[in-house]
Amino acid sequence: MTLSRKCVPFTPFDRELARSTIAIVTAGGVHLKDQEPFNIADELGDLGFRLIPPGVDSAELMVTHHHYDHADADQDINVVFPIDVLRDLEAEGFIGGIARKHVGYMGYTMQLKAMYEGTAPEIAAEIDKGSRADAVVLTGG
Amino acid sequence: MRGVPTVLITVSPEVSAQMRPPRALYPKGFKIGNSLGRPGMRELQRKVLRDALGLLTENTRPGEIITREYPDYGEQYDPPQVKTGK
Repeated sequence: MTLSRKCVPFTPFDRELARSTIAIVTAGGVHLKDQEPFNIADELGDLGFRLIPPGVDSAELMVTHHHYDHADADQDINVVFPIDVLRDLEAEGFIGGIARKHVGYMGYTMQLKAMYEGTAPEIAAEIDKGSRADAVVLTGG
Repeated sequence: MRGVPTVLITVSPEVSAQMRPPRALYPKGFKIGNSLGRPGMRELQRKVLRDALGLLTENTRPGEIITREYPDYGEQYDPPQVKTGK
């Protein structure tokens, strides 16, 4: 197994979870039904991402991704994008709140450099400005 | 930019380990497409998410993936392996 030679991008977390706001970023191809689906026809992958608002009805979310079996996510989006689960944890006081922005992208690409140098920092910038997230949960498919 | 703390929930621990994620949880035996568990298993989904978020406050080693077992999940699956050699 070859390990990345880049340094581990570790950011310390010095807060209490019960006072923290959490965002979800998923590579599972999640987006709103009325947003443009990811382009699965392009063999190189789709470098775009979709912003998902905090008040979203989970029934309004769907998956466009052809590199994993998302039949279970089609039934219950929380298996890859745990927005309702996050609401439960907020209600029980485990976390402080839900961030103002969440992100779905398609975690399959043959354009790794463009994903690493373009899409990833763009997503990080979205989270950094205006989401008020203190921490992010990342999920794949 | 100070950076944003992250925690990854992965069902492909070998694949994810290559990227050396700052903090990561592998719910053992979960299949791809089931990062939080199976559809409708909300209590299990809550448990997995609490455990993942909990890693933010634990003294984990950056780049290491923490494996936890969740018997409630039911049938277990083998994760994808990273091919070795060239």
